[in-house]
Amino acid sequence: MRHGILKPDIQLGGDIMHRVMTALGVTALALSMATVAAAEDRTVKIAGFGAKSGVVRSFGINTEAVMQAAAEQINANGGVKLADGSVGMIEVTFDDDRCNAEEGISVIRRIASTDAIVGVGPTCSNVAEPLFGILQGSVDDAGDSGLQFPIFTDTAIKGGLAKISDWAFRNVPNESEMYRSLFEWLQSEHPDAKTVYGGVEEDFAHSRFTWYNVMKPRSDEAGYEVKGESKWLLNDTNFTTQVREMRRAEADIIAISAHPFTTCGVLKEMARQRVKPMILVGLTSSSSLETLNGCAEQAEGIIIPTSFAPVTDAAQAAADAAAAKGGSADLHSAAAWEIMMTLKDVIENAGVMAKPDTVEADRRAIRDGLAALNEAEGLLGKIQRTDEGEAIKPYVFVFADEGAWKVLHDPGS
Amino acid sequence: MEDFWWNVLDTAQSILDGLMFGSIYALIGIGFTLIFGVMHKINLAYAAASIGGAYASLVVYVHLDAPALLVFLSAALASGLIGFLVYLCCFRFIPTERPLATLMSSVGMLIFIDEVVVHVTAGFPEPYPAIFDDVMLVIGPFWIRGDLLLIFGLSIVAMLVLLYVLYRTQLGIATRAVAQQPVAAQLCGISRETTNGLTFVISGMLGGLAGAMIGASVGVLSPLLALPLTVKGLIVTVIGGLGSIPGAIVAGLLVGAFENVFQFFRGVTERDMYVMLLLFFFLVVRPQGIFGRVSTRD
Repeated sequence: MRHGILKPDIQLGGDIMHRVMTALGVTALALSMATVAAAEDRTVKIAGFGAKSGVVRSFGINTEAVMQAAAEQINANGGVKLADGSVGMIEVTFDDDRCNAEEGISVIRRIASTDAIVGVGPTCSNVAEPLFGILQGSVDDAGDSGLQFPIFTDTAIKGGLAKISDWAFRNVPNESEMYRSLFEWLQSEHPDAKTVYGGVEEDFAHSRFTWYNVMKPRSDEAGYEVKGESKWLLNDTNFTTQVREMRRAEADIIAISAHPFTTCGVLKEMARQRVKPMILVGLTSSSSLETLNGCAEQAEGIIIPTSFAPVTDAAQAAADAAAAKGGSADLHSAAAWEIMMTLKDVIENAGVMAKPDTVEADRRAIRDGLAALNEAEGLLGKIQRTDEGEAIKPYVFVFADEGAWKVLHDPGS
Repeated sequence: MEDFWWNVLDTAQSILDGLMFGSIYALIGIGFTLIFGVMHKINLAYAAASIGGAYASLVVYVHLDAPALLVFLSAALASGLIGFLVYLCCFRFIPTERPLATLMSSVGMLIFIDEVVVHVTAGFPEPYPAIFDDVMLVIGPFWIRGDLLLIFGLSIVAMLVLLYVLYRTQLGIATRAVAQQPVAAQLCGISRETTNGLTFVISGMLGGLAGAMIGASVGVLSPLLALPLTVKGLIVTVIGGLGSIPGAIVAGLLVGAFENVFQFFRGVTERDMYVMLLLFFFLVVRPQGIFGRVSTRD
């Protein structure tokens, strides 16, 4: 009887056990699914911005393509590990600032109001300079109500901009160092060349800065006699006077600090007026497809220092991934790839949670992580990071040869 | 002394180069002035349509590997078509008593055409074919670019054809009639809308040729060209006299030479200031322009 009494109990207990087990199983399953769901929901939002309209549209297109390609690769390899051990997937957005300062500031304010934890951009130096100015100057300065949002710049190349704010970081090449090295190398390779003459796009910040603050003083320091410069404007179409000045200067080296459109116009005029210097040097930004597309024949032999060329496996893979996304990896957009990979490392090491309620803390963690970096992996080798948020990137000298950019010399080798 | 002679030679060379380029400004100026003459309206989208036409002709160049002359012709045709579309969108259905509305609509069209070009090409400069671009005529101390000489010649021919059309054909008579007395012209059976539309097509074709010439002279096309050409076209139109075709021709050559000479003497950064001063000078001293008539009550 007891047994009989017990039996139903046991049966009852078995039932309870069964139900409890089932409930536990369902709960565990639900919990595990919830964890998966939570992990899937955890997205790390990176906001790209740059010029996607106007004549510099190609810069924005390339940067966006490279950022998307890099994010896709990171996500395919398991995403980023967050501080609580979960995994986050990177989501990239891209806004157009039209290479306009007001627009850029408006874009970054809009981005800062979302849950994006870091911004990548802008394209133009004339946007970067005022934009960095609205960021908090010194971190933890209670009296500074500037925007507390980390920005990592891939393209805007004008020298020394990152020091404007502790929240600004750049992964742009150091032109001063590249041209110093180039002119010194030219001096050793072509000791018979003694004089330099410049050509400068006078109304474009980068071109102007690079000639007057970089090419001219660096060539002077390398022992060249600088015989002067000819000037033109970004949308000029007639270069006869300027090239006549070049012809009269009879310099051994002509250094053109201009973007592809006028570089091509000048090179074509030089060909017509039979101006053939011993050595032709170009602006970093002109080591792109645009120049070859516009005037491959006249650009033949032009030497340009650049921080990107598909000369390593990693660089080639990045270039291929960018091409698959409809973009082109060049010295500017390839920097965005390096930025994405650097950000992945920083996110994984800086305690980022990527939760809606940790956005501000995550931004600060990324800023601190970037500020603490001394070194990062680049496509051509190690990138040194300075205390001012700038990069010292490895570079090579390329030259235009039969419609393609080929490596002429690797100073790091 | 040697420097003095170099300066004299360089000044002469600058004038020569400027005159060559000035022929392109003249073509653009004629387009502005033709439309103003007929409709008394400024079409600010004109230069953008001209560059748009030149870009459209790249289809023929890239896909059919057409010779340069055919590319130039395609640019003229494409720009004529764009001109007609500009007429339909910005002028045809907007009441004539609201001049500001057509002005603003043409500004919008300028930006629209520019952005379309930028979106299609991603802002990349596109190589443009030229004829005789490697020919340089050396006459004594002077160098004359073969391609610019051809452009100069083509521009002169285009202007002569236009003058023939305006003064020796039915279409020209209708155009001038609508320009001078639109109501009387309509009473005589001349369709104002058709004439206006055709004026946009003709001026568009001239603009397309100018766009092609600009592309050929630089060897590269860029969307950057539209705005400066618009400004130059307006300056030429005002200096030449609103509505005056001979005025646009002379003013185009004058502005071309003037800006080149001042570029030589004062540098590129001051060049445009002097061109603007030239404009102000005409606005103050001769507001009707070189060949414009003084407006009177009648």
